[in-house]
Amino acid sequence: MAGQATLKPPDANEYGGDEISALVLDPGYSTVRAGFAGEDVPKSVVPSFYASTPSQKHIFGDNSIHTPSPQISINNVMSKDGTVRDWDTAASLWEYAITSKLTSNRQGKLSTNGLNDAENEDIKMEDAAEQEKPVGENALLMTEPGWNAGKDRERAIEVAMESWGTPAFYLARNGVLASFSAGKPAALVIDIGAANISISPIQDGLLLRKGVVRSPLAGNFVSDQIRLLFSTAQPPVPLTPHYLISSKSAVDAGAQAQATLKHFPPGAEPHPSFRALQEDRVLTEFKESVVAAWPGPGKLSGHSPNGMTNLDTAKSHPGKPFEMPDGWNQVFQAADRYRCMEGMFDAKMALTDGENPAPSQKDCIIDLIKQSLNSVDTDIRAMLLNNMVVTGSGSLIQGLTSRIQDEMTAAFPSSKIRIHAAGSIVERKFGSWIGGSILASLGTFHQMWISRKEYEEFGAGIVEKRCK
Amino acid sequence: MPPFKDEHILIISPGSQTTLAQLGLPESFTPARLRISSRMFPAEKPGEFEPMKVRERRTTKPAQTNGANPPNHSDAPMPDAAPSAEGQEPTTQEEPQGEQEDQILYEEDPTSEEGAVHPIIEGRIANWPCFFSLLTHVYNTLSPPFHTPILILAQPCWTAQDRELVTQWVFEKFKTPALSLMDAALAVSYAFATPHATVVDIGFGKCDITTVVDHVVGDVGRAAAIPGCGGEAMTQRLLSVLSAKGFTRDLCEQLKKNPICEILPPGTELPANLAPEEVVSNPAAAASTGAVGSGDGQRESIAAQGGAPRGPGLDTDVGDADRDRETNGAEDDEGVLDVANIVASGKTSEFLARKEKEKAEKATARKNAAIEAAVAKQAKLPNSKKARALFQYHERRQSDDIIMENTVKPAVASEGQQENTNPPNDGTSTSAETAAAAKREERREERRRARDSITYVRKETEVGLERFQAASSGILDRIADAIHRVILSVPEANRRSELWDSIIIVGNGSIVRGFKEALIATLTARYLISPNSATIFTSELPSNFTTPVATGANTPQPQQPHHPSHHPSGVNPLLHAATTASLAPPGPSQQQLQMQHYQQYQQQQQHQHQAHSSHAQTPTSIKLLRPPEYFPEWKEAGMEEAGFLGAQVAAKVVFVVDQGLSKGFMSRTEYNEVGPQGIHECSM
Repeated sequence: MAGQATLKPPDANEYGGDEISALVLDPGYSTVRAGFAGEDVPKSVVPSFYASTPSQKHIFGDNSIHTPSPQISINNVMSKDGTVRDWDTAASLWEYAITSKLTSNRQGKLSTNGLNDAENEDIKMEDAAEQEKPVGENALLMTEPGWNAGKDRERAIEVAMESWGTPAFYLARNGVLASFSAGKPAALVIDIGAANISISPIQDGLLLRKGVVRSPLAGNFVSDQIRLLFSTAQPPVPLTPHYLISSKSAVDAGAQAQATLKHFPPGAEPHPSFRALQEDRVLTEFKESVVAAWPGPGKLSGHSPNGMTNLDTAKSHPGKPFEMPDGWNQVFQAADRYRCMEGMFDAKMALTDGENPAPSQKDCIIDLIKQSLNSVDTDIRAMLLNNMVVTGSGSLIQGLTSRIQDEMTAAFPSSKIRIHAAGSIVERKFGSWIGGSILASLGTFHQMWISRKEYEEFGAGIVEKRCK
Repeated sequence: MPPFKDEHILIISPGSQTTLAQLGLPESFTPARLRISSRMFPAEKPGEFEPMKVRERRTTKPAQTNGANPPNHSDAPMPDAAPSAEGQEPTTQEEPQGEQEDQILYEEDPTSEEGAVHPIIEGRIANWPCFFSLLTHVYNTLSPPFHTPILILAQPCWTAQDRELVTQWVFEKFKTPALSLMDAALAVSYAFATPHATVVDIGFGKCDITTVVDHVVGDVGRAAAIPGCGGEAMTQRLLSVLSAKGFTRDLCEQLKKNPICEILPPGTELPANLAPEEVVSNPAAAASTGAVGSGDGQRESIAAQGGAPRGPGLDTDVGDADRDRETNGAEDDEGVLDVANIVASGKTSEFLARKEKEKAEKATARKNAAIEAAVAKQAKLPNSKKARALFQYHERRQSDDIIMENTVKPAVASEGQQENTNPPNDGTSTSAETAAAAKREERREERRRARDSITYVRKETEVGLERFQAASSGILDRIADAIHRVILSVPEANRRSELWDSIIIVGNGSIVRGFKEALIATLTARYLISPNSATIFTSELPSNFTTPVATGANTPQPQQPHHPSHHPSGVNPLLHAATTASLAPPGPSQQQLQMQHYQQYQQQQQHQHQAHSSHAQTPTSIKLLRPPEYFPEWKEAGMEEAGFLGAQVAAKVVFVVDQGLSKGFMSRTEYNEVGPQGIHECSM
């Protein structure tokens, strides 16, 4: 059955016309994830940070924002509370995330390539529809945090409908999606991101809004703790990001670094915000390879039954070596490794200085979970405790989930505590995106989309009615 | 569906500069048989494209019948025009202009770049109609049979929608029974037969960095099409440092490809500019032979550096039939002294003068020898140690210009340009010879014109330290930073060190001499984690206990059962021993035990990727992956286009061996069922 039998062009319905896959867009403080629904990993992961040149030009994407151009400065389209700070730039950054890897709005006119004979009608139609609209033919599912304000929600649908020309739109809570990705319609989702920890109780696939709590003691807080650890160490640990080093040479542990530094002519240095972003890259590596949660029992500030303080016990735990970009290296003692994290659980143990005051205990993760549980119906608490989902890149720190499990068991001794944390790192990092991918590819979800017609009829307010 | 055959498979690899294609898989895989420039020229009708520049030439009839030359080269046979003359677009045509004697001739210019449209820019498809006509051109050139499956190498930066469009177009235009789109980086890993690799593809205007883990391309963190990191960036850099010396872009491009242009690893000291006298090394030779700098030393060194052995250039005087005919009488019997004849002819004084001159020449020759010895000594130095080097290049000229120049030939000859690199044995060109030389020159010119309407004039010049600056604009730093970033964004931290150990640098931008070495040196200088960061405790250990090896030291090792510990994930026994001072007597058996544990541990790691405890910093070593030895043709050609080799391997596997069982390609039936979107399920 070669060629001849199949020469007839396929019918539109044979194509499964309504199966054009939807796009899923999941913006976060650190990255924005975008991809086609039905896939298992977002194809396009773009930092939410963008670079601005002195001439106020915005540059997006990993390929460009890490180049130390003169006077380049780094900003973020998201604010620290996980909502959008700068809608105009956010819209163009997300558009970049979509068009750079998924769709493409740079096509020439297909009708002029000499192919516009009868059997290529469909190409022509496509062509006309998407000359300038980046998402012209894909439905778009966007995520939002549980505390998103009404005007931000309306703005989201406006951007999607007006500037991107999407035919259908839906706005979903990222907590709900994370529970879907764990395969649970009801769960207590603990999302540890870069800027926020958020606790979202979910029942029957709906977010219980009164139970949503959040705190800033997430990934960036740990980074700040590490910075404090470095600056308070004796002698202080130098933190020089890679872009300032042209070559390093091996030195003994703890010895002064011997690196050839790069020099920028006066006036050509990048803005300090550029350095901060580059330092964060080093700190990410540090978190991956050194930082760990105190394995218990109890808190790091506590005592073991035989009267030894846990800090003393920690001294016998192994340290881990780390080498800085400039070659400085040291084995970090276990107590220090645990200390960076401990503030997330125990406000008293957080490292502080003038600029970084101690967090309040009510922001610590276990207290946060308790607050959330206290604000939902008592009869579903047991169910939520039995279905806890931990997600977000911040949860990847070594030993964190087992520490949460231990502390929760200690806090609710009479309940059955079960924590679900995805095994694969990708699933943990992109939990809410994957949930969105599942949701948008479900056949039964089709009735939920807000179509362009409905938007034109009811205006942006429809998002409040439809996307609960 | 009948099974596909090796000889029917069509592979196309579109690139920004060069598009590679081949019909059929040979017994032993070879580099691509068809290489064409990825550019098309706008045809008369907007939106249509021709594979070659078509020039309009207005001539008048009488003029045409006049000379022997003009018709000769307006209808000149074009070497690669033959395949493009497919029926669909008649490429050369003459249109008589009615009653007038004027004629418009359309001629194809196979070498012109004027007005060329590049459909692919920095890997992205910038002009779809042009891209499609390029594909058509390739297809028609190879004219595959009907039952031909097609494999197209997709650039990493093609979006999902781009892939769909290509799929739709190929199925509807070529009516192919099967199509596979394969990621270019994945193809490279196939060529190197490795399940994991970091593929660094240095192209023309961009570079792509891709990690491949377990034969799967890592989409997260992939750096596709980093702008300004390709070969063109290096040319532009050379241009910016050399434009003051009158170098054009074309010259810089040639310099970049020349072996004297070299990228030195960062921190290498540049040679001091010590020997200025070599610039005019041999005025005597210059006077007598016209070859400035009697280039022996320099030319020798170029050959020694592995430069392509050059035949005599078009303008080089080598023992030439014409020349022999003319000079026979004068020079053949040189050295035979027929004294009687001389005296009888009454030209004694002349003869003596000649003798005198010969003696002088011998003296200078001796002097030359001394200088040449010095030069040769200099020449033995590697290129990177020399402050200056001779750069031979070709200048492209329209034949018209040359014809004009020929009419004023003496002026050109005395221009002082180092036009001819005469071999020294070419000897004694005297002023009396110029006329004959001019004649010869003209005759050769004619022959050349018959071959090609374009002339390349060989020239040479001296280039200083600028030739080491091709990458000095920070391109290596940017690429190195991107490699570091891409590998560190691989989610499975325990796979990263494998990726650091299997870096593959491909792409024609990486051919520049020393590029790969310099890139690895940059990576090493900036990112390598030195092994001694963990050796802080070794002084407390028994001296017969070896220091930890680089790879194992940072990795936590499984707890030996008899060591009590609070730490669940295990601890490096070495560190543990150092801290608790309870080390079992060390010995080979202990180390073997450690090795076993380590292997077990690694196996465990592979089963539980979520075990974040394995985190340790990378890279502890950085290595280039060696290409496989069993493709002799590729070994000769170099692995810069390894993606094409990988495509052949993959085509063999998906079309012939696997026959679609594991969805390596999309068949026409599938296309009809699911449409272009289905390509994402089927491609590689």
